[in-house]
Amino acid sequence: MILVDTADGKSHLLISLLMHFRNFILFSNIRSFEIVLGIVPPSESQGSPTTYLLPLVAKGDESAMRRCIDSYGPLVWSIVCRRISERVDAEETCQEIFTEVWRIAGRFDSKISKESTFIGMIARRRSIDWQRKQNRLPALANLDSLPELSTPSTNNLHSIDRSELWNILKELPSDTLNLFSLHFEKGLTHDEIARQTKLPIGTVKTKLRRGLIEARKLLKEFNHGRGVAK
Amino acid sequence: MSMEKTLARFEELDAGRVLGDLTSEETSEWQILVTDIEDVHSIELELLATELELKHVQPCDLSSSLSNKLADTIPAFSNKNINQPADQIISILPWLGWAAAACLLAFFNLSDSVKPLTPTELTDAQKFEALIKEAPNTLRLAFSSASDPYKEISGEVIWNDDLQEGYMSLINLPVNDPNQNQYQLWIVDPKRDELPVDGGVFDIPYGSKNAIIPIRNALQVSKPAAFVITLEQPGGVVKSKQEIVVALAKS
Repeated sequence: MILVDTADGKSHLLISLLMHFRNFILFSNIRSFEIVLGIVPPSESQGSPTTYLLPLVAKGDESAMRRCIDSYGPLVWSIVCRRISERVDAEETCQEIFTEVWRIAGRFDSKISKESTFIGMIARRRSIDWQRKQNRLPALANLDSLPELSTPSTNNLHSIDRSELWNILKELPSDTLNLFSLHFEKGLTHDEIARQTKLPIGTVKTKLRRGLIEARKLLKEFNHGRGVAK
Repeated sequence: MSMEKTLARFEELDAGRVLGDLTSEETSEWQILVTDIEDVHSIELELLATELELKHVQPCDLSSSLSNKLADTIPAFSNKNINQPADQIISILPWLGWAAAACLLAFFNLSDSVKPLTPTELTDAQKFEALIKEAPNTLRLAFSSASDPYKEISGEVIWNDDLQEGYMSLINLPVNDPNQNQYQLWIVDPKRDELPVDGGVFDIPYGSKNAIIPIRNALQVSKPAAFVITLEQPGGVVKSKQEIVVALAKS
């Protein structure tokens, strides 16, 4: 315990400084606990854009790349394992994903998406490409061939919580929502969904495609409604 | 087809691309539309699909072997930073830069001489030349034809282990139809006793007698013994059966 004479102005100043110091230690520790426990990824836990990892990765910062792998590796691995069951292939794809992350990190824009979404998008695309290779289908365009990647989005996905997003989509027809759930939540392929729902594969494909387009419209309307700038 | 219908068709194909369900024909159609229509290259749908999926993805720990493999690749990629645009390298040390500029302005009044550097994007051909001239220990090997239908081809491959960067200069490699097949490079790394490393899939478009192709190695490569070009199905393969070997360069 620190005893001070509160009648003295200097003591007030000392107490104030000590309180600030205590708060700094206390709250910075809570944040670091959250990060360690994985509740909040380091890059998305702090409001300042200077805390994002990808701009540092783009500049060749090795330690940022290590933190990027530590923070997002488990997420990437889960996305890959949803689509690739062979461990060797999954590991190779995971390596390819982080190679691509390194290569196009400079294209990340925090005004468009969250860091985890940007990396998740690369992971999704690489895994889908792997599946397409197995099915002898041509690969899709690379992300670095999309020059408008830095164009601000009208949908402002960076500011919407993922649970909130699913709530917005409750306005979709129930059969579309069911297909969304089977595809995005359970990770089923179109064939598996067709077998489970007894719908023709073409119908599953069309409904998912149109549902995604409709979801984008709903999100735009939601953003307009709450006054998010275009 | 009206513009409105074309846009609607593109939108549907793009949703298919994001969901990964495009057929070969649809992929070709998407590729034509994406070059014809401006302002439609949005990644909104893809980000949206990713957000929808991430809500339900439970991150699971990496195995220690995979963690080590990922960590091992980091030094190789940080070396590539040497070739980054000047503005990015400068921004690594913003405070030092500002301090130096302030000192110069205050003491030497050299404001006129401080000019911002502009990034320059080199072409693959320029990068090829730069790698030969500026990077020591760059391996340089000549390509030779590996089968009769490709007897006219020549060229060379250059590779730098330190930078993990390389290019192929190819002459008279026949034009391919990406919907039918694609060329794929394989790098034989003696330190890996498994498969050759995938060096990337590439095409030779119409009118390209001479082509410079960057190597896109999926894994780190060390002292490669040979580079092999094969013709594969669209998108390439994970493991080549080497049914059509086009060219070979070996040390």
